[in-house]
Amino acid sequence: MKRFSQLAWPYMIWVVLMILLPMLLILVYSLTTSGNEIVNFTFTFAHFQKFFTDPDFLLVLWRSLTIAVKTTIICVILGYPVAYFIARSSDRVRNILVLAITLPMWINMLVRTYAWIGILSDGGIAQTILGFFGLKDMELLYTEGSVLLGMVYNFIPFMILQINTSLCKMDKSLLEASADLGANKVQTFLRVTFPLSLSGVVSGITLVFLPAVSSFFIPKLLGGGQFFLIGNVIENQFITVGEWNFGSAISMIMAVIMMVCMYAIRKIDEHNSGGGNQES
Amino acid sequence: MKKLLTSLLAVATMFTLTACGGGSNEDKPYAGQELHLYNWGEYMGENFISGFEDLTGATVVVDYFDSNEAMYIKVANGEPYDILVPSDYMIERLIQEDLIQKLDKEKITCMDELVEDIKGLPYDPNNDYSIPYFWGTVGIVYDKTKVSEADLEKEGYNIFLDTKYKGDIYLYDSERDSFMMALKALGYSMNTKDEKELEAAYNWLVKCVETMEPEIVTDEIIDNMAQGRKALGLIYSGDAANIMSENENIGFYMPETGTNLWSDAMVIPKNAENVELAHEFINYACSYDAAMDNSSFVGYTSANQEVMDELANGDFEGINAYVPRTGNDKDEVFEYDEATRKIISDYFSKVKIAASNAQ
Repeated sequence: MKRFSQLAWPYMIWVVLMILLPMLLILVYSLTTSGNEIVNFTFTFAHFQKFFTDPDFLLVLWRSLTIAVKTTIICVILGYPVAYFIARSSDRVRNILVLAITLPMWINMLVRTYAWIGILSDGGIAQTILGFFGLKDMELLYTEGSVLLGMVYNFIPFMILQINTSLCKMDKSLLEASADLGANKVQTFLRVTFPLSLSGVVSGITLVFLPAVSSFFIPKLLGGGQFFLIGNVIENQFITVGEWNFGSAISMIMAVIMMVCMYAIRKIDEHNSGGGNQES
Repeated sequence: MKKLLTSLLAVATMFTLTACGGGSNEDKPYAGQELHLYNWGEYMGENFISGFEDLTGATVVVDYFDSNEAMYIKVANGEPYDILVPSDYMIERLIQEDLIQKLDKEKITCMDELVEDIKGLPYDPNNDYSIPYFWGTVGIVYDKTKVSEADLEKEGYNIFLDTKYKGDIYLYDSERDSFMMALKALGYSMNTKDEKELEAAYNWLVKCVETMEPEIVTDEIIDNMAQGRKALGLIYSGDAANIMSENENIGFYMPETGTNLWSDAMVIPKNAENVELAHEFINYACSYDAAMDNSSFVGYTSANQEVMDELANGDFEGINAYVPRTGNDKDEVFEYDEATRKIISDYFSKVKIAASNAQ
């Protein structure tokens, strides 16, 4: 086994170069004042102070988190039944369905989001169809609904695939055992299937929530310039304002929030699977 | 069938061969070379690039940007381009930061063809660095069926605070244009460095986004106004000309309190790899045919006098947005000042946050 540990070196170098070093740079940026040379640091907490003492920024952060939470909840509610249905299908059908879920992901996310602009815009297909039902002139684009739609649409495949994998991995004999012991279908689902698929749900939540919190192009395209979430604030600080230090500070804050979320989610997951093992 | 295919193939091969032969011809001195152009999106005519390639034999590689600031970051980080087309104030910044080079005036043969009004502007008084590409103003685009001209004349930019038009307006997602509007509405200079005036402009914009439910857009405004979806919007004159040629119910109004006279011009960065070809490109872009192709296709006002006159009396006849206003004392050219820019940027991101939080 020891010989193989050497094989990890390229991976380590990759991690240091591509992940650790950029993160450190962001950290350095977030703690220094702008305009100084790398050799001549002036440390400051001013950027963090600026963020946390301004109610406007905190409100934006709060809105970004709520939208991400909403996205995640919708993804679980819509994604679970789909994943369940796919997992229960025969092998052939399942492969086709999984392909159908993954297929759109071959097209660039940005392009697919642009397509929604055409569908939702005033006088677009969606409005025409709603017009038949007497809901004429309903604003669809540039609303919170359109941003949510864009997020759910882009991120739900991750949820479905994760849940589907965990459902497929499940030992079918457990279901038979449950039936043998007199549980009906609902009881089996609630007490066997669902708890065992929770790990999939949890990793699905991670994969949906994290990108949803920091996404900036979906709100920009589907929410318009007046829909400004935390990802847009960061982008704006880098591209337009030119305040890389403040932008880095917000990025650090987001990184910490995400790490805390991931840690919490993992704890819940461990707690659950730990419980499951004891019972079996 | 097989025969047909073979003959088709033969013909195709012949064409390719001739094309190659043409490419290496001696009257195309730049054959095989590359020109890296960094320009605005939707800013070139259909045959503009291929025309230059045919003329010189060079290949043009185009990248697009949608804001001066995005362009600046790439250029400042050393991406090598041969030609950029930034706006006036950004050219000033690029000169200050020593990122663009002086043009070789002897190689520029097109100066006489350009409109006098946009030569020697304050950002580059002798055109040492830049040659104009397009120019224009900023004004209010409006739907004549929804907005009365009396309101526009009475209120000017303050029409964007008139709750009669609540939920029916577009703002332009650009800090300098938004602040120009606010400062001019308040009667200040758009180049003010007075912090009180800037703060007043910021408050004006916050009031606008909090009470008027505007949509803050960029190029989306072109299609949306052409289809008459909203009543009012802040817009570049060239985009307005484009809309007005599609929809006759649309008007363009420049408030008497002044506007921004802007120009986008071609410059050569310090780290350009093919300076010779870049000069060639500048001459080409100014020439009648190329400028005509660009301006008639895009709707922005040409820097070439002959093209501008011809289009003003032809394709864009009766469209006041095509010929920029000159002679109003309150119209200004944007000047670059790092400290003010920082303040405005900071304020504008807070305006957008306010807009977002107001929903």
